[in-house]
Amino acid sequence: MTKRIILAAVAILLVIASAYASFFIAPTERTMGVIQRIFYFHVASAWAGFTAFFLCFIGNLLYVWRRKQQYDWLGVSGAEVGLAFTTVVLITGPIWAHPVWGIWWTWDARLTSTFVLWLLYVSYLLLRTLVEEPDRRALLSSLFGIFAFIDVPLVSGAIRWWRTQHPQPVIMGGQGSGLDPTMKAVFFFSAFAMHVFMAFLLVERYALERMQTEADFLAREVEAQ
Amino acid sequence: MKNLDSVFAAYLIGWGVFFLFYLTVARRTSAVRAELERLKNQLPKAK
Amino acid sequence: MSLLSNTAVLLGKELRTEFRSRELLTTTVVFILVVLILFSFAISPTSEESREFGPGLLWLAILFAASLMLQPCFLREQHNDTLSSLRLAVGDPFSIFLAKLSANTLFLLVTEILMLPLFAIFYNVPILPELHYLLLVLFLGSLGISIAGTALSAISAQARMRELLLPLLLLPLLTPILVVSATVSVSLLDRQPIVQWKGIAFLAAFDVVFLTALWLFGEYLLEE
Repeated sequence: MTKRIILAAVAILLVIASAYASFFIAPTERTMGVIQRIFYFHVASAWAGFTAFFLCFIGNLLYVWRRKQQYDWLGVSGAEVGLAFTTVVLITGPIWAHPVWGIWWTWDARLTSTFVLWLLYVSYLLLRTLVEEPDRRALLSSLFGIFAFIDVPLVSGAIRWWRTQHPQPVIMGGQGSGLDPTMKAVFFFSAFAMHVFMAFLLVERYALERMQTEADFLAREVEAQ
Repeated sequence: MKNLDSVFAAYLIGWGVFFLFYLTVARRTSAVRAELERLKNQLPKAK
Repeated sequence: MSLLSNTAVLLGKELRTEFRSRELLTTTVVFILVVLILFSFAISPTSEESREFGPGLLWLAILFAASLMLQPCFLREQHNDTLSSLRLAVGDPFSIFLAKLSANTLFLLVTEILMLPLFAIFYNVPILPELHYLLLVLFLGSLGISIAGTALSAISAQARMRELLLPLLLLPLLTPILVVSATVSVSLLDRQPIVQWKGIAFLAAFDVVFLTALWLFGEYLLEE
């Protein structure tokens, strides 16, 4: 319990520090101006969200292989937390796009593949609500999670190569190549902070799932008597 | 300082989403904890 | 090889079941037809627009039809309680999947071939010049739809609300197929047709990836 409180405190401190850094330490971008500061939040959330989905995939694989319910807990926690992060990505993306491109939504490759990713994990969670029996639910959703995860590179490849008629937006293209060193440092710090925050949410969600399983077990015991 | 409002909106809404998510987890956790207490009390009595 | 001979026997069974009643094929053909007509009402395209959007609409109709057609694939076995005896009879459960997905690919192809002339007439798109490439794209796309769809219909058959669940699980998963086969078909039906080999290779890659996944994880899908 104390460990979880420490993790929460560290996560919140890191997140506040990264927000401070992205507003006051990082220099203002020349062509885009202030709006570029969303980048530290938007892209860092995207990375943390993908990590959460990856953890979900690992949990799914391990469940199918080892059949321990802990792995199923990891799967559902990763999916839910990843969904929260990609939701933030999908909301902050248009807020960024609006002043820069003049439109809220473009069928840009990254935005669109993130959207499909989001849909896939919504289906994953939906499937979980529709299977009663715990072992069956764990197995079926793990298998769907595996199929969904291997679909992700195919989705982003298909969209990148065949859907983007207009040239890649300049902002994302510049990432890594022409990025100012301070900006880079602030970005990696933000990404780290978001990962710690993601870990905090994941631990909380995992603990909930563990308690839920315990409660379900006890409820069956009580009913049996 | 053009577009500063958009940046603030993004941070506000983004953290709002995270806060809401945390809130749902916390609420579900306290509900399950109460349920767990109730069941634990029920079990020894029945025995 | 026992895998292939088992598959052949099971495929024969699937085909006999279907061709006895032809329920699945008739319903799917009518469904695609309805969707295609409704699409043209919804957007009433000019002939330029139908060249541009027609193939995409055709693929969308195929996707929707497939998500309905794949429904009974495992449900039928469940109703008749034949799945466990089937599993006992065949050593490798992968042959069950192979048989079912080949049957589904075949059914989809048959409906598509029946639909193509009507599509060409309704949407005013000449399909004959590049027909062999178009058939190749249809085959690879339908194969991918059937592989992923057969796997997911084994999942959805074991859940509640299965009729609604299968399209919800399947359609986002098939985005790559829709994107690529629609684009490849559009450039095939263009006034200056281009064969996008990269797209055709991508479709084949999709099929291989999902077939491998099914081969690796298929037996768990049928666990009792």
